[in-house]
Amino acid sequence: MSSIMLDPSTADSSATSATIGLTHGARLRRVLLPYLLILPTFLFIATFTLWPTVSAVINSTIKPGVTVKIAPRFVGLDNFRDLFDNSTDIGQSFPRILKNTLLFVAVTVPISMALAFFLALGLNRKLRGIGLFRFAFFYPVLMPMIGAASIFAFIYADNIGLANVVAHSFALPTHPWIGDAFWTPIAIMIVALWKQSGFYMIIYLAALQSLPADVYEAADLDGASGWVKLWHITWPLLSSTTIFVLVAAATNAFQMVDQLYALGQGVPDDKSNLLLYFIFQKFNERANSGYVNAITVVLLLLLACFTVFNFAVLDRQAYYEA
Amino acid sequence: MLGKRLHHIAIAATTTSMLLSGLVAHAQTVTPLEIKFYYPTAVGGPIAKVLAGFADDFNTANPDVHVTPVYAGGYKDIYTAIDTQVKGGGAGPDVAILLSTDMNSLIDNDYIVPLDSFIKSSKEADTYLKDFFPAFLLNSQTTDGQTWGAPFQRSTPVLYYNQDLFKAAGLDSSKAPANLDELLADAKALTKADGSQWGIEIPSDGFPYWLFQGFAIGAGQNLVGDAPNKVFFNTPSTVSALQYFIDLQGKNAVMPKGVIQWNNTPADFTSGKAAMIYYTTGGLTNILANAKFGVGVGFLPAGTKGFGAPTGGGNLYILKSSPTANQAASWRWIEYLTSPQKQADWTVATGYIAARQTAWDTDTLKQLIAAHPQYGVARDQLKYAGKELGTHQGADLQQLFGRALQSALTGDKTPQQALDDAQAAADKILANYPN
Repeated sequence: MSSIMLDPSTADSSATSATIGLTHGARLRRVLLPYLLILPTFLFIATFTLWPTVSAVINSTIKPGVTVKIAPRFVGLDNFRDLFDNSTDIGQSFPRILKNTLLFVAVTVPISMALAFFLALGLNRKLRGIGLFRFAFFYPVLMPMIGAASIFAFIYADNIGLANVVAHSFALPTHPWIGDAFWTPIAIMIVALWKQSGFYMIIYLAALQSLPADVYEAADLDGASGWVKLWHITWPLLSSTTIFVLVAAATNAFQMVDQLYALGQGVPDDKSNLLLYFIFQKFNERANSGYVNAITVVLLLLLACFTVFNFAVLDRQAYYEA
Repeated sequence: MLGKRLHHIAIAATTTSMLLSGLVAHAQTVTPLEIKFYYPTAVGGPIAKVLAGFADDFNTANPDVHVTPVYAGGYKDIYTAIDTQVKGGGAGPDVAILLSTDMNSLIDNDYIVPLDSFIKSSKEADTYLKDFFPAFLLNSQTTDGQTWGAPFQRSTPVLYYNQDLFKAAGLDSSKAPANLDELLADAKALTKADGSQWGIEIPSDGFPYWLFQGFAIGAGQNLVGDAPNKVFFNTPSTVSALQYFIDLQGKNAVMPKGVIQWNNTPADFTSGKAAMIYYTTGGLTNILANAKFGVGVGFLPAGTKGFGAPTGGGNLYILKSSPTANQAASWRWIEYLTSPQKQADWTVATGYIAARQTAWDTDTLKQLIAAHPQYGVARDQLKYAGKELGTHQGADLQQLFGRALQSALTGDKTPQQALDDAQAAADKILANYPN
């Protein structure tokens, strides 16, 4: 594709039929064209991704004046140090919230991927009305998160919520879902799993449907069992999809925030709070601008490490169709 | 057929252009000053419709000004909108409703102007401020005597109790528990061991400092004084008040365990799961509409040093980024909104407490009190009301206290430890502010 675009005869067909004087211009155009083509995308990324990142890094080293009359000053890594200083307000919360976020990612990513994989296997067959089932599992993805979380807020309500009413009627123990130190993070993870699994399922489903049939025919001839086919053919063939889903799921999980607004806002004592929501809670006060930028940098670094690890280590072992 | 349609289009076009020219002519004769007014919704009710009606009336009576109310989300969203627009050098609103406790942050950011010069040159120069309930001015004025916000949609927490459940438990349903000892005794009588009915619910998520201030003031020391750079989180009276609060869940077991959610509390009350609740007076209209039993309303029960409650809600502020002429016009809009009659109308529509004392002399509120005497309780409690926890970096301090309360509720820390830690972190923040 790119070779065609860079060919001057197609990039600018008039150049070949024109005089020798224009050849120089044509050559210049040949050099500039690729840059021109990526310019819109580059401008967009520079404005909305690169510059905010640079700005966050710069501002994370600055302590703002607590009032407009006090000038901001450069403090190096002080803001980062305060994040872990237990005698400061921010330092009492941040380490706990960082831990919550890592736990949230470590729990929801594997579970949502496993759910997605097995749902996709189950739905990858020709059945009457299979589209309805696929839609049913994909439907949560279409809902706005805050709407979904508001519905769950009713389900989780202490005395009158669906979860406790149903549990009570089966003589199961009821829980204060939102507000309890143990159950609130779980309640929030359940919403995320319900919301996200369908999306990864669709990706797996698309990959499953493009798998080569001949491999399975050969396996059938060799008398391979369903389990062997799943474990030795399907799973390895899907490895590139799995890596993509892993990166997408982890990135999403780090940035999962909306449901906290409707589900307890981090109660109790920040034990269910997550990094991005914490930034939302803190960014209004001018005195916190150094801190929220420092937290943003921490979040970016976490994501960068994770993504680099995935593509550098795992991706090498993945199978890509030639 | 086609000709007929063209004819119709021609007529429509002519009519439109006539209308447009009429509008232009009208605009040329009046050229009203456009005032942008940002407001939040924090309670139920047709807020947008009521405010649009107020603006229409005001605009008709003041042809030189045109107020456009802009619904801008919750309180925090409005703060963010102003923060972003002013920092970005853009035009924010001219006038806005923000939390009364936002006052210090707004001043620290230089976002608002004091109202004193406007008040001084108004018709009510001498009477305007005196007519507000003094408790509502505590979060509207600074220690140097300047007034920065006009109280508009203000509230205070009260005790709601289920009169039918009181009767069923053999209690006097005509009066609320007067003090914390009576509250505990009543709550014990109203609690069922199987968890189907609780004596009391006091929400503790979101902004738990607010309801707890009732306990702190009643115990003798509010969480905050006049100065915006000092808080009193770990005074002995507050530590024992917090102990009483957790004992309601722990040793006395008259309140559901853990953090109770603000949003579920009214439904727990109207469904009979909770016999008594601490809740904002702003919820009264909704609770009266949904409860199928006699709803009693009382003061927050007195602590060892008497009654006590914080105030809450929003003030009207004029933005510094607004041009001088717009600021003057904004002040006229504030005067209109805080006039006794409009305050009375706003109370009927929303359940907020009319902040002007003379508003309660209007027929509107006299009729309301005659029909629902419960609306008068919050007003009468105002003489015991204290300042809401409003300081520099107010949102951080409020969250800080909320976390301390929750860590004591969950048993992670003793009340003393939780409040000592919170006091230390608060002192560290407030040390940055010389006054």
